[in-house]
Amino acid sequence: MDDTRVPVGTEEAGAAVAEAQRARPLRAYLPVVVTAVVLGALPLLIGDSRYFLSLAVLMLVFAGYGVAFNIIFGNTEQLFLCLGALAGISGYTAAILGNRLQLPMLLGVLIGALLSALLGAAFSWVSVRRRLGVIFVGIITLSFSLVFANVLLGQRDLTGGETGLIIESAPGVVAGRGVGAYYVFLALLTVFLACHRWLQRSHVGWAFRALRDDEVAAELAGIDVARFKLIAGVIGSLMVGLVGGLYAYYEGFISPSTYAVGQVDIPVLVMLAFGGIGSLLGPVVGAAVFAVVDELLRPLSSIRTTVYGAILLVLFLGFRHGVIPALTGLGRRVRNRRTPRT
Amino acid sequence: MAVIFDGIAYGLQLGLLAVGLTLIYGLGGVLNLAHGQFAVVTAIAATVLVDVGLPMPLAILAAIALAGMLALAFDASLMRPVYRLRGEARVLLSLLLTIGAAFVIDGLLIYYYPFAALNVDISGSAVNVLGVAMRRGSLAASLLAVLALGTLILFLRYTRRGKAVRSVIQDEEGAQLCGINPARVRTAVFVLSGVLAGVAAVAEGLTSSLGATDGLDLTILALIVTVVGGLGSVAGALVAGLLLGIVYTLSSFYIGAYVTFIILLLAAMLTILVRPSGLMGKGA
Amino acid sequence: MLQVEGLHAGYGDSIVVHDVSLRIEAGEAVAIIGSNGAGKTTLLRAICGLLPVVSGHVTYDGNTLERIPPHRIARLGMAYVPAERRLFPAMSVTENLELGAYPKRPDSRLSALVFELFPRLADRRTQHAGTLSGGEQQMLAVGRALMSEPKLLLLDEPTTGLAPMLAEEAYASLKRLRGSGTTVLVAEQQVPLALDLADRGYVIEDGRIQLEGTADDLRDNPDVRQAYLGLSDQGAG
Repeated sequence: MDDTRVPVGTEEAGAAVAEAQRARPLRAYLPVVVTAVVLGALPLLIGDSRYFLSLAVLMLVFAGYGVAFNIIFGNTEQLFLCLGALAGISGYTAAILGNRLQLPMLLGVLIGALLSALLGAAFSWVSVRRRLGVIFVGIITLSFSLVFANVLLGQRDLTGGETGLIIESAPGVVAGRGVGAYYVFLALLTVFLACHRWLQRSHVGWAFRALRDDEVAAELAGIDVARFKLIAGVIGSLMVGLVGGLYAYYEGFISPSTYAVGQVDIPVLVMLAFGGIGSLLGPVVGAAVFAVVDELLRPLSSIRTTVYGAILLVLFLGFRHGVIPALTGLGRRVRNRRTPRT
Repeated sequence: MAVIFDGIAYGLQLGLLAVGLTLIYGLGGVLNLAHGQFAVVTAIAATVLVDVGLPMPLAILAAIALAGMLALAFDASLMRPVYRLRGEARVLLSLLLTIGAAFVIDGLLIYYYPFAALNVDISGSAVNVLGVAMRRGSLAASLLAVLALGTLILFLRYTRRGKAVRSVIQDEEGAQLCGINPARVRTAVFVLSGVLAGVAAVAEGLTSSLGATDGLDLTILALIVTVVGGLGSVAGALVAGLLLGIVYTLSSFYIGAYVTFIILLLAAMLTILVRPSGLMGKGA
Repeated sequence: MLQVEGLHAGYGDSIVVHDVSLRIEAGEAVAIIGSNGAGKTTLLRAICGLLPVVSGHVTYDGNTLERIPPHRIARLGMAYVPAERRLFPAMSVTENLELGAYPKRPDSRLSALVFELFPRLADRRTQHAGTLSGGEQQMLAVGRALMSEPKLLLLDEPTTGLAPMLAEEAYASLKRLRGSGTTVLVAEQQVPLALDLADRGYVIEDGRIQLEGTADDLRDNPDVRQAYLGLSDQGAG
């Protein structure tokens, strides 16, 4: 038996693969750069309209949520139906700390985001320890979201209950709701995308793929499934916390409905149904489409819910992994047929 | 003491609501998150029919039949691609598709019937049950629940078709080897779950009222009871329903609405953490 | 009664059974012998519809079975007793038997026959199937299959998990079954018992039929003797 050979399924092999992938970093991050540039140019198109600017910011916020969800669910199949609650924990923490203790925005948001990350870690750790399947993780996180919403409603003294909280903050880039705020969120989103890209190309991403393919086999091959699920949970939750916290300062006002399941988790699902669960840019595409569709449907009031339901149905019946991946998959197949085999 | 009786009454309703959901999971490993919508559709349909002139009992029967037909439509359309998958992929797709369907129905109902609500009025003085005064509506709802659940249990335990249903739950391959068609059984039980949701809606209408906006709340309640009782266990749904019903009533009487709901949710979370198979579920 | 031609079957992308052909006449008892993983279970499951047939033909009583779902095949009179038995654990012995007769009404005459064949089950009529011992579960599985009055009985390693004495008892019961005219196809690792029961046999290894012949021929075949009976021509094994 040749001892110098590296068995195929081990971490060493994965590191070797990742090493080879590191060869062409520029091309790998190109999609991120292009996206950042394109989105960076968007305010120029929008001009002075505060309305469209706020829409664009919303798009960036949801894209951020989407990237986080893709990292958590798309990579490690942890169905965290608590994105809104995680964002809300950060947002409310930042708001309360800012209002009551006059903590500066950055510190408040950071603390809030760390809380979210901690909670996300707890969920990941618990679901690994108890070997919870996808639906149990979904149910437990969904239950948590509802608990959180009820706590917000019940603890009126702290959270303002149904009427919500106004954030009394000093005017800043984010609170100013101008173009500056847009670029702050864009910077954050770009960092998220770069992070996701980096994860994909690294040893961690290799482990994610093995995990997704066959968790049991990955475990048997020596991959520490628990560690990688935890990594995904923490990173994703941290992202959600950062976005949620900043968003609170941006809006200047938060209430339970800002972070409700129906306001965050469900739209994220619809977005990703379109953009592709697990993909890198899917959240951006999905968020853009969703922002437009949402605005167009605004006058229709509750029929909007129907339309989103219909979108979910059509997309998950027809395009199991999202419309965009289906289309890009088609493009790849066509290209492969045209180029000669090397 | 009266509170406990109310708790039992509510518990029976919860059990009735959850039993359909848990049956479908036990049979096919799918979660129907549009379950609450079946109840709401029944409520709204009954209201509409009464407005049109039908006597209440007839309207209710017709509405329940409508719920059954809606369930049949669901099974024939949405569930087909779901049953082609296995295990976690199957349950995930069922989650996503039924949520989508739930939203479609929810949005339509709220849009067209925002104020319709089912209120089944049984006028009359309170009835004395074992020394406790109970409202007629509450008593009627309890009797209805007992009747429906009793019929279901008798059906499952003592009839040939009922045993065929249980056989598919206990060992689907074994059932196939006995000549039982699992797909047909799943369809029948899906329709049954729709009907049971409809009956639960009537019970709710007897005790308070049920409107178009209550759909998702009902689904969540049913889900909580199902999880605590054990996914797939009919007995579990009943026991959990009674337990949670009593807890709910006691808590909302002595503490308050928000905390009560939190307690129920925490019960579900605790169950998943400590004993995922629920109170009476089959295996971990 | 049963004719299999050029059957290929497997799981997902891997084909386990290659080009298998066999036949069974009414009233016969045929054994399929082979070691662990030879493909016996795959073959039986493909015949009774639990596994898709990749290519080839299965003809039973004039019906082509390849596309027919397993519950319909069961109703055509082919009863399959899997190695895992697949009983209904939370239902009583009687209920398990009654379901075997589905959709027909439970026939007390039939259950009486089953209890006669397996007296130990009669003592445990109301016991839940999940609480029975391995041997009793095996008996119940066979009994349940018999309740549908099958024309063809397929048994997959009926001695799985049975102590040698129980295994012999099981085969004794199977012989009595044969007496009543049931056609039997049994897949077995315990070759002596199977060949004792059967008229003819097939040897399967690596998913292919390696040998076929009468039970006597197979018993005398030197390769069979060496591989499965632990005997060699140069002294006892």
